[in-house]
Amino acid sequence: MKTKKLLTILVLILIIAFAYGSYNIALSKFTLSDKNNSYLGGIKFYRSDSGLQKGFLEAQQQKKPVMVYFWAIWCQYCAGFQTNTLGNPQVKQILENDYVLVAMDLDVDRDVSGRYGVSYPPYLIFMDPNGNILQRIPGAVGPDYLLPIVTQVRDTVRSK
Amino acid sequence: MITLGDSILYAGIAVSAIALIGLLLKELKNNDILYRFVSPLIFLAAGLLAFAYLLITYYFVVSDFTYEYVWQYSSRDLPLVYKIAGTWAGQPGTYLLWVLVIFISAAWLAQTTKHATALARRTQIITVIIGIYFIVLTLIQTPFKSIYEFSNVPQGFVPPDGSGLNALLVNFWMTVHPPLMFIGYAAITIPFAAAIVYLLTKDEGWEELGRQWARFTWLFLGMGIAVGGVWAYLVLGWGGFWAWDPVETASFIPWLTLTGYLHAASLHRKNKATFSIAAPMLAAVSFILVLYAAIVVRSGLFNSVHAFGETSTGTLLIVSVVAATVIALVLGMKRYFEEPETVEEDKGLWNKTNIFYVTLLLFVVLAFISFWGITFPVFIQLTQGLKVGVASDTKNFFNVWSYPFTIILLLALGFCLSYKESEKQKQIQTLAVVAGLSVVTMLFRTGNFYVLDHTSPFFVREPTIYKLLGSISLISIFPSLVYAAWAIVNRLQEYLRITSLRPKIKGIGIATVHFGVVLILFGTVISASFTSSMDNINIPLTAKGELVDIGNGYGVKFLDLSTSSLTGKTNSYPGTQIGDIMNNPSSFEGTNVTISGQITNISSLQGHGTLVELTDNSGSMWTVFPGNITETMGAGLTVTGNVMSGFQVPVLQVVTGDTLDISGNYNVQNVKLEVYQNGGKIGSGVAQYLEGKGGSGTFPLVDRSITGTDVYVIFQGESGGYIPLTLKIIPAVNFAWIGIILFAIGIILIMGTKSKSG
Repeated sequence: MKTKKLLTILVLILIIAFAYGSYNIALSKFTLSDKNNSYLGGIKFYRSDSGLQKGFLEAQQQKKPVMVYFWAIWCQYCAGFQTNTLGNPQVKQILENDYVLVAMDLDVDRDVSGRYGVSYPPYLIFMDPNGNILQRIPGAVGPDYLLPIVTQVRDTVRSK
Repeated sequence: MITLGDSILYAGIAVSAIALIGLLLKELKNNDILYRFVSPLIFLAAGLLAFAYLLITYYFVVSDFTYEYVWQYSSRDLPLVYKIAGTWAGQPGTYLLWVLVIFISAAWLAQTTKHATALARRTQIITVIIGIYFIVLTLIQTPFKSIYEFSNVPQGFVPPDGSGLNALLVNFWMTVHPPLMFIGYAAITIPFAAAIVYLLTKDEGWEELGRQWARFTWLFLGMGIAVGGVWAYLVLGWGGFWAWDPVETASFIPWLTLTGYLHAASLHRKNKATFSIAAPMLAAVSFILVLYAAIVVRSGLFNSVHAFGETSTGTLLIVSVVAATVIALVLGMKRYFEEPETVEEDKGLWNKTNIFYVTLLLFVVLAFISFWGITFPVFIQLTQGLKVGVASDTKNFFNVWSYPFTIILLLALGFCLSYKESEKQKQIQTLAVVAGLSVVTMLFRTGNFYVLDHTSPFFVREPTIYKLLGSISLISIFPSLVYAAWAIVNRLQEYLRITSLRPKIKGIGIATVHFGVVLILFGTVISASFTSSMDNINIPLTAKGELVDIGNGYGVKFLDLSTSSLTGKTNSYPGTQIGDIMNNPSSFEGTNVTISGQITNISSLQGHGTLVELTDNSGSMWTVFPGNITETMGAGLTVTGNVMSGFQVPVLQVVTGDTLDISGNYNVQNVKLEVYQNGGKIGSGVAQYLEGKGGSGTFPLVDRSITGTDVYVIFQGESGGYIPLTLKIIPAVNFAWIGIILFAIGIILIMGTKSKSG
């Protein structure tokens, strides 16, 4: 009886310590409110529904294509996609200079996601300034795959 | 207007409520007035629910799209098996399945016990209460909702086709995974009810009453999870067979506590004083965690590949979890303080009860790690409005924390199975050596064979403690794995020496299940660590028949690309079958007939109309249109008109006609491939890509080999003249599958030996 009681208390303490520790680690290290866009490959995106509208306004003024990136914090593929593909120096340079970038959180911006028929992350949609869809890229593609597309979409919109 | 299905459900509530009253009168007032009707009423309730389930299945089979649920999850061109699987594709149907199995359990309980004991009656009371609660949940999200309840749907409108099953779900595993899960979910009701009765009344025999149910639940839940793993293994983007997705984790948690319960029960049944609180509490907790799993799926709070979306029943489920938890806790505490402090003879620290108790605690700890990992981010989000991750990479959290306890569990497994009172000192020494070896091997520096993948970009972002635990070498699993395997084999030899049949079979079953654990852990650790993967392989269509080098010594030969409809040639053409008319044209003479088919020939009558040949599955027939037609060869048509049989061949004179979409919603691309390594063929087969509603599904090429290695190729659909492929070489994964099969075989052997005395 005594051994079991001791074991139980030990395990309880262990569990509480684990719960408390992991809770605080998550709060201090893995808060994904993401104000500095660190979670989005260090690239600045317009966010939320109103950001999407601002994005299109800017796109029309500057005659730039719009890239909407659908992501989610729980998406394990997104993090790699953000670092390796969006964060690829060549891709990143074109995106930051020649595109209007909008990021849609699938959990928050459910309406927008539904409107564009996006049901899973990561997912990219390329549009001209008028909102016509030029390309859809579902899934975590590599930079070699994405680079020709961002170049081609940019050139298409420019030549119009 | 209440639909037929809903009225059956209401009748189910009424019938089971009367049964409940009958049971309660007997229990509280010893009044037998309704008592003899109780069993028949419970059978009737089970029958009503079975009828309701058959009814919704019927609606799916005949494609009655006036029901929203059918419209949402089915369409005409789905093969029959997926129409039936549509019944469990969404929440309403799965509630109905769940409640049906609860009532089948109740009926079984009534049949086997005849409610002869107070325990059986009281267990039945709780089961029926839970059952009624679930009928209410089903009614709130009823699968029998008519589309006419939507104000924008005009009365009498019949949708021509359903929205269709999501392409990802058009998959063989869809036909088995959900039923296994929900049967498992429902079957745990009886062990829970019996445990609550025991905590409340100390009724003897509760463990025996729930024993087979607990094993049955363990089997179905376990197989449901495993089959889900196989399915996820075959789908691109679901992260392999185990990704710590909240929903898969949520169903794994009750399975862990249930495993703990089965261990507790095995000692409790031999000595009622052993685990007299731990055993019933574990049974109760398992049920509560099943409800919690339902919340994870249905509340919309958790993000998962299983997300059904937010629903109205989420709150009610939360209420039921809170209620069940409070009841179980209060009763457990009460029993704990009532229990006389038993003075057992001191068998020392290392007695069987204590070791088993460690095992139970380990299951609880493992369950808690999983529970906490999926729960606290949601808790933080609800209370502080902050989104947090549990680690830089979600799976790291679970792997890092679970790993050390898995090692201890393996050590406990080895020790328990080799435990002999007489050789205790020797056993303890062996355990100490193996434990020491485990600790030492943890420190080995072994390339990248660690708990966490050191090459992953996430690793550097993990906190120190996760990096530390993540740097434990996976070599450390082998001492305990070998120890466990050795103990199992030794124990098996002893079981084989037993002469009487039942204990022998049961022993073999126990050994089989435990050997399954060893194989599963071996398969998962090796395959997770040594899988090599090559993405973004693009084979040009022009390279047909050539061996294309894809780097790292691997090559792919693409042999053939073909497309087909999922349903083949079985497109349904509304109206009369053409073959029927051609066989007996005169009987159709003078009546209006509707036929449909594909245009297979067109011939103009030079200003006197157009002759059009229509072909369906049964034959071809010429029709004559009064003017010119705009449709072209290959298009579908539905026409109504008169059959004129007096000609050389019967002709249908068209009065009205309309186009018919015969393109089909689900199209499959098949690519035949061979995979080479250093010039030698290592695998071949067909990879498929399905396009349909809501996206696409992949059916990869999986070529198994005798060494346990899978050659695995996903095909993502032909695009721009290229065949995009992902190649994976996955070693040892088949050991895990074999382990799962051993789980099933073992528990079935154990269940097969049930005798009155246990």
